[in-house]
Amino acid sequence: MSGHRRTITFTLNGRDVAADIGVHQNLTEVLQESFGLFGARESCGQGLCGCCTVLVDGQAVTSCLSLAAFADGSTIDTIEGLADGDTLSPEQEAFIETGAFQCGYCTPGFILMTKQLLDENPEPSDEEIMHYLSGNLCRCGAYAEIVKAVRLAGQKRKA
Amino acid sequence: MTGGSTTTVGHSFPRMEGRAKVTGQADYIYNMRLPSMLHAKVHRSPISHGRIRSINTAAAAAMPGVHQVITGEDVKAVLPEPYYGPAFHDQPILALEKVRHFGEPVAVVLAPDPHVAETAAQRIVVDYEELPAVFDEVEALTSEAIVHEELKPAGTFADLKHLSGKRDTNIALDFHLNHGDADKAFAEAAHVFEHTFRTQQTMHTPFEPMVALADVRNDRAEIFSSTQSPSFVRFELSRLLGWPESNVRVKTSHLGGGFGAKVYVKVEALAMALSLIAHRPVRVAQTMEEQFYTITKHPNTFRIRSAVDGDGRITGRKCEVWWNGGAYADIGPRVTQKSGFTAAGPYDIDNIDIDSFALYTNRPPAGALRGFGIPQLVWAYESHTDIIASELGLDPVDFRKRNILRNGRPQAVGTIVEDGEFEAVLDGVAQRLGWNRPFDKGSGTKRRGRGVAIGFKASISPTTSSAIVSVNADGSVIVYCSTVDMGQGSDTAMAQIAAEVLDVPLDLIRVVNPDTDVTPYDMSTLGSRSTFHMGHAVQLAATDARDKLRAMADEVGLPEGSNAPLPELFIKKFGMRAGTVVGAANYKPDYAPPNYETGQSPNATPFWMIGAAGAEVEVDTETGQFRILRLVNVCDIGKPINPEVVETQISGAAVMQLGFTLTETMIIENGQLTNPSLADYKIPGLFDMPDVMENGFIEAEQHNGPFGAKGAGESGTFGVSPAIANAIADAVGVRITEMPITAEAIFRALREKAGRPLEDV
Amino acid sequence: MHFFELAEPASLQEAIGLLGDSGGRPVAGGTAVMLMMKTGVFQPERLVSLRKIESQYSQIRLDSEGNLRLGAMTPLRRIERSADVAAVAPVVTAAMRRLSNVRVRNVATLGGHLAHGDPHLDLPPVLIALNASLVVASPSGERTMPVEDLFRGYLETALAPDELIAEVIVPANPDQRAAYLKHTTRSAEDWPALGIAVALTLNGGTVETARVAIGAATDTPRRLTSVETMLIGNPHNDAVLQTTGDATAGEAEVHSDARGSAAYKRELIRVFTARAIRQAVEGDRA
Ligand SMILES: Cc1cc2nc3c(=O)[nH]c(=O)nc-3n(C[C@H](O)[C@H](O)[C@H](O)COP(=O)(O)OP(=O)(O)OC[C@H]3O[C@@H](n4cnc5c(N)ncnc54)[C@H](O)[C@@H]3O)c2cc1C
Ligand code: FES
Ligand code: FES
Repeated sequence: MSGHRRTITFTLNGRDVAADIGVHQNLTEVLQESFGLFGARESCGQGLCGCCTVLVDGQAVTSCLSLAAFADGSTIDTIEGLADGDTLSPEQEAFIETGAFQCGYCTPGFILMTKQLLDENPEPSDEEIMHYLSGNLCRCGAYAEIVKAVRLAGQKRKA
Repeated sequence: MTGGSTTTVGHSFPRMEGRAKVTGQADYIYNMRLPSMLHAKVHRSPISHGRIRSINTAAAAAMPGVHQVITGEDVKAVLPEPYYGPAFHDQPILALEKVRHFGEPVAVVLAPDPHVAETAAQRIVVDYEELPAVFDEVEALTSEAIVHEELKPAGTFADLKHLSGKRDTNIALDFHLNHGDADKAFAEAAHVFEHTFRTQQTMHTPFEPMVALADVRNDRAEIFSSTQSPSFVRFELSRLLGWPESNVRVKTSHLGGGFGAKVYVKVEALAMALSLIAHRPVRVAQTMEEQFYTITKHPNTFRIRSAVDGDGRITGRKCEVWWNGGAYADIGPRVTQKSGFTAAGPYDIDNIDIDSFALYTNRPPAGALRGFGIPQLVWAYESHTDIIASELGLDPVDFRKRNILRNGRPQAVGTIVEDGEFEAVLDGVAQRLGWNRPFDKGSGTKRRGRGVAIGFKASISPTTSSAIVSVNADGSVIVYCSTVDMGQGSDTAMAQIAAEVLDVPLDLIRVVNPDTDVTPYDMSTLGSRSTFHMGHAVQLAATDARDKLRAMADEVGLPEGSNAPLPELFIKKFGMRAGTVVGAANYKPDYAPPNYETGQSPNATPFWMIGAAGAEVEVDTETGQFRILRLVNVCDIGKPINPEVVETQISGAAVMQLGFTLTETMIIENGQLTNPSLADYKIPGLFDMPDVMENGFIEAEQHNGPFGAKGAGESGTFGVSPAIANAIADAVGVRITEMPITAEAIFRALREKAGRPLEDV
Repeated sequence: MHFFELAEPASLQEAIGLLGDSGGRPVAGGTAVMLMMKTGVFQPERLVSLRKIESQYSQIRLDSEGNLRLGAMTPLRRIERSADVAAVAPVVTAAMRRLSNVRVRNVATLGGHLAHGDPHLDLPPVLIALNASLVVASPSGERTMPVEDLFRGYLETALAPDELIAEVIVPANPDQRAAYLKHTTRSAEDWPALGIAVALTLNGGTVETARVAIGAATDTPRRLTSVETMLIGNPHNDAVLQTTGDATAGEAEVHSDARGSAAYKRELIRVFTARAIRQAVEGDRA
């Protein structure tokens, strides 16, 4: 189990997949280059902005700081897997309805953090919302709308 | 064309591209790949000023997987004059002979694997003879360090012509304005005030970093770029190549933020040159770090003096502003002039002198950033205004209102103000703050204060926008325009305008992403000009289409007012679902350039943008740490095309300015930029938001705007910084004159005031 | 990113064998390692992943004496959510709230956090104040050392290249009260300009034992022993807090950086030492 390259297998948005990767590659890069998924994207490259967020075994992870090799055997969900066909997830709907983005570059990350939050805590307090989302940045400054979107997503999930 | 009730314009529709953005499908240029493309990684200068003695590329070229290593000389071999820039042709595609700032591109490695290119780029060895460098804009006036031996104005701007060929100066533009007789006003003044304020260097940090892909082959250059200025990029690249513009195609998409970073040429010239040399498609994709070396916001120093009479009327103002443009002029000379003429503030002052200088230094280049110099000016004039009010014992809002500019009065540039609701905007802030209600100023180590500030900006003139609106045979509509939607919602606004004019439902309208092969000319998406300029062009083009549809209806014998559905009309005319009706228009507002000597113009701008802010803060006197309890922003944006989108533009602008006010600063130590990353350059996050934030606009109408609208993208930045400084002064009686406003600066000022200055040992 | 090899041993012993002279460098959560590799400051030829080693090293348990034993490979987020941690060392649970972000805590491990040796990290001063110790494994067996002795300099620790942190032990001390204050001077989620941890036991109105540790402002996380000495045996009133605060100013060597000048940070230490002590005294048993 050594060497510069290897094949990894994992479950990606519900499908079993395999990829031939270099061990130096991070997960963002492999999702883009091997699977054409660009919803997780590298911006700061340092774990700060959350634009590269994906869920690994249900936990939000900074894919720009994760070696793709570590994904072997795991279950990965990206923003592309969130909608059920044409039906958007409650989080996605909430972000649209509250206008919680401008350029949209940070949006998949915020939506996935919202999902992890609501999975763990269906009725979060505002403090809890702030806590979960404070590790993501939005340069367009849509924070107020984003917090509203999370509240709305919580309501939608209950309905 | 204004007034009356509208069905689409003036209503808050969700952004058209919302679904793509929440599903991760939005097609940013950063996602794009071309077949057989090479990745470019740039080797950058580790020093701020130096002569290149030699570049050794052997180790990099020898690395397995490297396609080619390219230096400035290689570029020169194919493009003999490889310099670009909107105001000066001063910026080499890759450094030639000299480097002028830390992080300047010196050489490039091309490889099919980006990791190979990156590793190889680190193996390039450059030998420099270091030269003395200058970083401060005031020192640049007299420094021995000369950034450019000879000035090379681009020839596009009349007021730069006299600088052509000038040697041994760092001054890239001097702008002077004289209005009335300022000397006399000062001689007769009851009170004279003088202060100096400074701002720091900051960066836009759009989250989608700058990126361009180029495919140059035969006599055709195709450029895919996250640019705000597709038309300018085409113009500049065709000039560099010596080709007609029709041989150059520049295509863009939705941008992951721009804020002015992506105007004019950024990485496109490099991508084009690399593809030209390598005969392969090339992708130049910056990292967040690299953006800090590419374009920044002007730091400045502003000395402001006011003459005030016994009644608290400002009778004269003298402004000297030095703009730190960094190593390449970019659009800095325009900042110096366009923003320069508003340096005296939104006040009705009869006697004004303004001297505004653009300076070259050895910092990374500075250009346009949301507000185009205005926030730097407002920082100074609104801090200054509060100091005067306080020293004269006047209420800061009353003092402002006593002097505020009103419609029908000339602004310093000599243009009569129309549709500028300065006083209403100021009142809007005061009202939301409850200015006339008692205010709890805190006690013990927690002190509270509040402050207001108001700023304004002229539009960028004279500029042109063109649009095409085509109506398909099924009644759906396509809008072709080169306005770039980088998050400001312009696609939605343009669609709303077209829908309104053509009376077509919004979901039948499609707005094409800018593509210079397809979408007509637009000056650029900057300076909040699009709603007004492109909004007009789309409105006119849609009207043109509508008129043609009417004519078509007449021709096929439909009675006036028959309101036959569009598909029916096309079938009547063409016998089947066929044909297209195309409307087109150019729009350019009237403009008169300022007189070179006096800076005066009867018509300097088609509209004024106005924004005011109010802040309440609480300061911890033990540490200087402060919290913003409330931040209020009110703007005059005319009539909004899409009120909700406009509101988020105002709040987004204010949040960005909050970062510039509190935490963001580019630190250069020993000639090196020490913090080019979000880990060390701190932009605001959720926990940095004010406890309460309110954003709004006043009822207003821009009579010459499309549906009464005007620009809204920057006004939310204007008042934020000085409102906070004024609130801090109100809370604890210390005045911060330099941005960013840090807890340490306040703490030091408090200790100074207490007669126990903090000793550095 | 440079090219390297990745080994994924299945046991701690196997991992140790791949380190040191064998040229491998450990990686656990990888958050710090990735950052350093991306900037090129760290270019190992081989990484040895600890992710597949025995699960006992990623567990949280209480030993027979009630001491808290944290496997070094435990993700910070599990520590944050552990009821055992909240019972024995609630100050650790509290400190997690502002330690980086949920995403990073989901993967970053306790061992990686300590072995990184960055003085800005939050848990070192907390664990030093709690008198925690480490179990360190090497080819020649195991040794135990106080967390306090781990830090030698900026990104420098007392670990040999072939040593791994296996476990962290936080002693049970039911009478102890503790507090941790993190102070950022730029944005809220910035690295701290100062972190200060206090653990005290009280006897009526006087302080019986005290451990005070700071991080971020100094080259390495460290104790403020002069403050401890001034506290012990004294009442915890405002006058004493004032003088202990003053005592900090001289003791620690503080450096200027983008988060503040040395002079300013010394003032912060003065103010926050007193605040942290007050919070420890006044808070619920923390
Ligand atoms: C965006 C971001 C923000 C952050 N903010 C904060 C913050 O606010 N406060 C804070 O305290 N921390 C913060 N951190 C740091 C974070 O806590 C560390 O990155 C993390 O704890 C390191 O853990 P890791 O398991 O990922 O270590 P790794 O990256 O895997 O390893 C770090 C170092 O430890 C070595 N190592 C790993 N495991 C062991 C072991 N068992 N024995 C010996 N050596 C080992 C590695 O060789 C390496 O030298 C932040 C990190 C990021 C990315
Ligand atoms: S890109 Fe990964 S966190 Fe910013
Ligand atoms: S919407 Fe642009 S970064 Fe958040």
